[in-house]
Amino acid sequence: MIGRRPTQRIIDVHAHLGPYSLFFIPDPDAATMVAVMDLTGTDATVLSANRAIQQDAHLGNSQSLAAVDAHPGRIAAYAVINPWQKPERELERLAADERFVGIKVHPTLHRYPVTGARYAAVWEFAEATGCPVLSHSEHQSPYDAPAMFQTVAERYPGAAVMLGHAGITPAGVAEAIEAASRYESLWLEVCGSQMTGPMIGAMVDQVGSGRVLFGSDFPFIDQRMSLGRVVCAPLTESQRQDVLSGNARKLFRWRPLPGESGERGVDETDE
Amino acid sequence: MDEITSGWFDARVVTGAHPASLQPATDREAVAAHLDRFELSGALVSAMASWLHDPIGGNAEASTIAHSLADRGVLACWTAVPATPGELDSLTALVEHAVNEGVAAFRIHPASHGFSPSLLDELYAGLQANRLPLCIDAAEITWPDLTTIATRYPELPIVISNVGYRKLRELWAALDGHSNIYVDLVDFAAHQGVEWLAANHLADRLVFATGFGLRDPGESVVRLAWSGLDDATVRLVGAETAGRLFTGGQS
Repeated sequence: MIGRRPTQRIIDVHAHLGPYSLFFIPDPDAATMVAVMDLTGTDATVLSANRAIQQDAHLGNSQSLAAVDAHPGRIAAYAVINPWQKPERELERLAADERFVGIKVHPTLHRYPVTGARYAAVWEFAEATGCPVLSHSEHQSPYDAPAMFQTVAERYPGAAVMLGHAGITPAGVAEAIEAASRYESLWLEVCGSQMTGPMIGAMVDQVGSGRVLFGSDFPFIDQRMSLGRVVCAPLTESQRQDVLSGNARKLFRWRPLPGESGERGVDETDE
Repeated sequence: MDEITSGWFDARVVTGAHPASLQPATDREAVAAHLDRFELSGALVSAMASWLHDPIGGNAEASTIAHSLADRGVLACWTAVPATPGELDSLTALVEHAVNEGVAAFRIHPASHGFSPSLLDELYAGLQANRLPLCIDAAEITWPDLTTIATRYPELPIVISNVGYRKLRELWAALDGHSNIYVDLVDFAAHQGVEWLAANHLADRLVFATGFGLRDPGESVVRLAWSGLDDATVRLVGAETAGRLFTGGQS
């Protein structure tokens, strides 16, 4: 049986912040998120404000930065790039502000395909700088089905792209695994209401433990739901630690995560 | 071993195979291993066949597991449908049969099985009289239908399951207005939802359950173990409330 305190150290690469109109979220503020992180052994969380993905990228990105300022040792921010809301302006802001450590895009929510020209500047920036990009991915979505990321990887092989939810459904996960198996620039992130430990095990078996990342979607969904799947998944302890934090430390090198010097190279953390 | 996180009762285990899931089929050995892995004191087991194939006939599969693992605290949860010639003669007789078999609760699937919950009044009355809880997945019933049952049968414990993360507004109204409604932890995924209910004096309406067979049990186990609840409340949610609800027909 599991105890009341975690034994692993965790980095959560898929989180949000603040309210969401479609449903009530108790205490979705940064302070409560950090309190949850204290309970779960989470050293750092990378988040994008719900306001940024749902309604106003610029204002929401400001909320994310305020959370970083309030908890600089624990929280880092994605800059949400909405292709319909002055993406160049937000990319310039991202480039100039070191509190942003990555880019978040949500093609399904913003109803624009991940392969579309309006996202080109995102992939060019990511390829030029090493800035990692987290994208929503969803099976059979006309905007971000996992197979569509193969096109992005073909065009921009130097852009590191995390497939958020790894396609969401069992069939979507299978498609995401296939895409990530073909392209080393694609990473799989594990949160999603239909995810299971065996599905995470399949990702590790087929893609390798080095490109599977822990994320939770919290406070959209409670962090402990996704965490429980990984903690109990059929993985070796080495694989589990890769997923829970090792791979995030490897991927986020453009700008350091909280608690990182930013000087560690990829070779030093590879198996 | 952490004594606070052992001895929990899993109020939702499903035995059998699911046709479209990567979760492996849960037979007797799998349920026993599940009890061992998480040091559980017991479980309430229903049959996948009752949900996805033969509602009444599948109950035998739940009872087989329960009888086989009775010394491990495993209890059966049977499924009911409206009395329909050729399928089920009498709901009252079904409940009596269940009580004689030591069944601890009933589950209904109105949406999946294509009937209105209002057709089961005889069941609700029988369960209330015998102190057997009624279990329902949130997707199987509307909130108005759920609260109608709770209002008409105020001594009938109703455990709502698979609430997800988008239904706290509806859940709050149901729990606040009906002291006989409970929610289990199967996919109870709202951020801080457990802590929010506890802070609003409703910790005694939370019931630990994993959905093993349908869901990854790690979700509920870690959700409760690493919750912000104090140890006494964790025990309440993990074991004590279930111990009060699921007595196998023994009051």
